[in-house]
Amino acid sequence: MLEVEGLAKRYGDVLALRDLTVKVDQGECLVLLGRNGAGKTTALRCMAGVLLPSAGMVRVDGIDAADDPAGVRALVGLMPEVPGLYERMSARSYLDHFGAIYDLSPELRGRRIEDLLELFELSDAGDRWLGTYSKGMRQKVALIRATLHHPRLVLADEPTSALDPDSARRAWIYLKDLQKEGCALVICTHSMEEAEHLAGDIGIMSNGRALAVGNVVELRRRSGLKTRQEVRELPTLQDIYLAIVDNQRMDQRELAETRTA
Amino acid sequence: MVAKRDLRDAVSELRLIAAMVALTLAIPLASGTGVRALAAFGGGTAVVNRLSLVGAFFVVFIPASFSLVLALESFVGERERTTLEVLLSTPLREAEIYAGKVAAVLAVSLTLCYGGLLVYCFVTFPGLGYFPLAILLALALSTICQVAAMVAGAVIVSLNARTMRAANVMASFIILPMSVVLQVEAALILVGRAEFLWAFALMMAVVALILLRMGFNGFSREALLARDVGLRRPWRRANAALRASFNQRPGLFRLVWMRRVPLLIAAAGFPLGALAGYLAGLTNLIPANVVRPVLSTLVRSTGGGGAIDEALLIFSHNVLAFLLVAGLAVVSAGLSGFLLTFAPGFILGFAAALSSWAFALSGIVPNGFVEIPAAIIAGGLAIQIGAAAIHMDARGGWAARVLEAAADYVRALRWLVPALAVASVLEVFLG
Repeated sequence: MLEVEGLAKRYGDVLALRDLTVKVDQGECLVLLGRNGAGKTTALRCMAGVLLPSAGMVRVDGIDAADDPAGVRALVGLMPEVPGLYERMSARSYLDHFGAIYDLSPELRGRRIEDLLELFELSDAGDRWLGTYSKGMRQKVALIRATLHHPRLVLADEPTSALDPDSARRAWIYLKDLQKEGCALVICTHSMEEAEHLAGDIGIMSNGRALAVGNVVELRRRSGLKTRQEVRELPTLQDIYLAIVDNQRMDQRELAETRTA
Repeated sequence: MVAKRDLRDAVSELRLIAAMVALTLAIPLASGTGVRALAAFGGGTAVVNRLSLVGAFFVVFIPASFSLVLALESFVGERERTTLEVLLSTPLREAEIYAGKVAAVLAVSLTLCYGGLLVYCFVTFPGLGYFPLAILLALALSTICQVAAMVAGAVIVSLNARTMRAANVMASFIILPMSVVLQVEAALILVGRAEFLWAFALMMAVVALILLRMGFNGFSREALLARDVGLRRPWRRANAALRASFNQRPGLFRLVWMRRVPLLIAAAGFPLGALAGYLAGLTNLIPANVVRPVLSTLVRSTGGGGAIDEALLIFSHNVLAFLLVAGLAVVSAGLSGFLLTFAPGFILGFAAALSSWAFALSGIVPNGFVEIPAAIIAGGLAIQIGAAAIHMDARGGWAARVLEAAADYVRALRWLVPALAVASVLEVFLG
C-alpha cells in the first residue's frame, strides 16, 4: 500500500528528512516514534503527497507521489497534529464540506457523518460551531474528517494527544477497525502505550533519520537489552479510570432501559 | 467549493457584516446628500459636477480597502490557524484553492463597492442634470483591478508571512503603492477626462494581471507548508547569495545573446519612441507651454562651462540614468528599461516633428552610434531584472533570480560605463 524508498526532504539548507525507507502493507500499521523535530511530520506530509520529496520515492497503492500527487492525496487521509478546523462552522457542515471535496455523494457522506459523530459521541454537539469545541472534541472531528472518505492509507500525527483515556481507547478501536477493513495506517505518536497497542512495525526517528524500523520483538532484540521479568499485580491508574467510566456508562444504560420498560 | 465556504465564512460574522453594510450605505448617503445640498444651496455647476465625481471615488475606495483585510484573513489567517494545511492535504489543486479564495474576496469586496456606488448614484445624480457614465464605468473597471491587485498582493504577502501580525506589517508594501495609485486616480477624476481614467484603468488591469499571475505561481504547497528554517547568520547568507550571483556568469557577448529577447524589446523602444514623439509633435498633443520650459532646461543644463565640464556633465548624467533605470526596474517590472530607449526616441521624434528628421538626427550623431547600443544593452538587462522581479516560482528562488539579473547588469556596466565616456567625448568634441 505504501512504499517509501530513500525519502529525503530539504527546506532551504536544512535537511529535515534523509534516507527514509519503509513499507506498509494493506491492513498494517507503522508507528513513527521520535522527539520533536525528528522529521515525523515532514515524513507524513511527503507520504500524503502534500510535499514533494527532495530525493527518493513515495508510492501509494502504486501511484508515485512525484508523478501524481493529487492522485495520492485522494487515496490518503491526513490528520495533522493541529486539527485546523474552521471555527465558524458546525461539525456537520464542516465534515460535509470535506466529504464534498472528496467527491462523496450527499447521501453517503450524510450517513457516514452521522455514524461517525455517533461513534465519537458528538451527535448532540454536531450543530454547534467548532470554535466552541474542547481540544479533545476538535481532535475527534479531525480524525473523522481524515477518515470520512474511506482512505486506503491513514496518516495521523498524534491522533490521541488531546483525548481523555476513554476517547483515546475509542479512537484506537476505530483505527483498529479501519485496519481490519484493509486500511494501512502510519501514526506518529509520543505515547509508547499507543505505539504498542497499534503497531505492527515501529520506526524510531531522530534528526530526520530512521534509526530503526521493525516490530517490537525485532527492536527488542536489536536494542540488546536483557530480558527482565515484570510482575504487575495492581491495576494501573488508566485501568481504574476506564473501569469506573465503563461502570457509570453501564449504570446509565440500565437506568435508561428501566425507564423505557 | 472553496469559494462557497470562504463566502460563507466572510458573512458568518454578524458584527462584521453590520459594519461593512453600514459603511457601504452610510458613506454614499452622506456623500450624496452633501453634493445635493451643495447643488441646492448655490454651488456652481462645475464645482458640483467635479465634487460628485470625487464623491463617487470616495464611496468606492473605502469598501475596496476591505479587500486587503479579507484577503489577508483568507490566506494568512488560514495559514496561521493551520486550516490551510488541511485544505492543501485534499486532492484539490493549488489553482482551484487559489481561484476559489480570490473569487470569494472579490465577490464580497465588489458587492460592497458597487452597492455603495449604486446607492450614491441614486442619491446624487437624479435631478442634477449630469451623469458621467464614461467616468463611472472607468472607475468601476479600475476598482475591480485595484481590488484584484490588493488580493494578489495579499497572496504574495501570505507566502512570506506565517502570522497575521507579520502580514499586517508586510501589508504596508501593498498599502503604500495603493495610496499613490489612489491619489493619481483622484487627480485624474478631478481633471474629469474619461479617456485618462480609461488609460489608468487599463494600466491597473495590467498591474493586477501581473500580480495575480505572481500570486498564482507562488501559491504552492511547497511554499506554504515548508518548515520555516529561520534566518540564521543573515549577513553571511546575504554575502554568499551575492557572491553566488556573480559566479559563473557569462561574458558580455554571450550575455547579449542569452538576453536577446529583452534586448530586442529595448531596441524596439527607440523607433517606437521616435514614432510616438513624432506623432505627438505633429498633433500638438503636448502643449507648447509644457514643452518649452522642459527643452530650455535641458539646453541650459548642458550649455554651461568648458568642453571637459560639459563632457563630464553628460557622462555623469548618463551614468546616473543607467543606475536609476536598474534600481527602478525591480519596482516598475522592467518598464524603466524600456523607457531608457523609448524616452530618447520620443524626444528625437518630437524634435523631428517640430523641425526635420535631418536636423533632429544631427543632434545624436556621432555619439548615438555608441550611446544607443549601450542604452539598448542596459535597457534590455533592466527589463530582465524586472522580469525576474515579477516571476514567482513554486520552488522559490526569487531572490537568487533577481540577484543574478542584477549581477549581469553590474557586470555589463564594466563595458557600458566606458562606452558612455566615449559617447560623451564624441558628443562634445565631434557633435
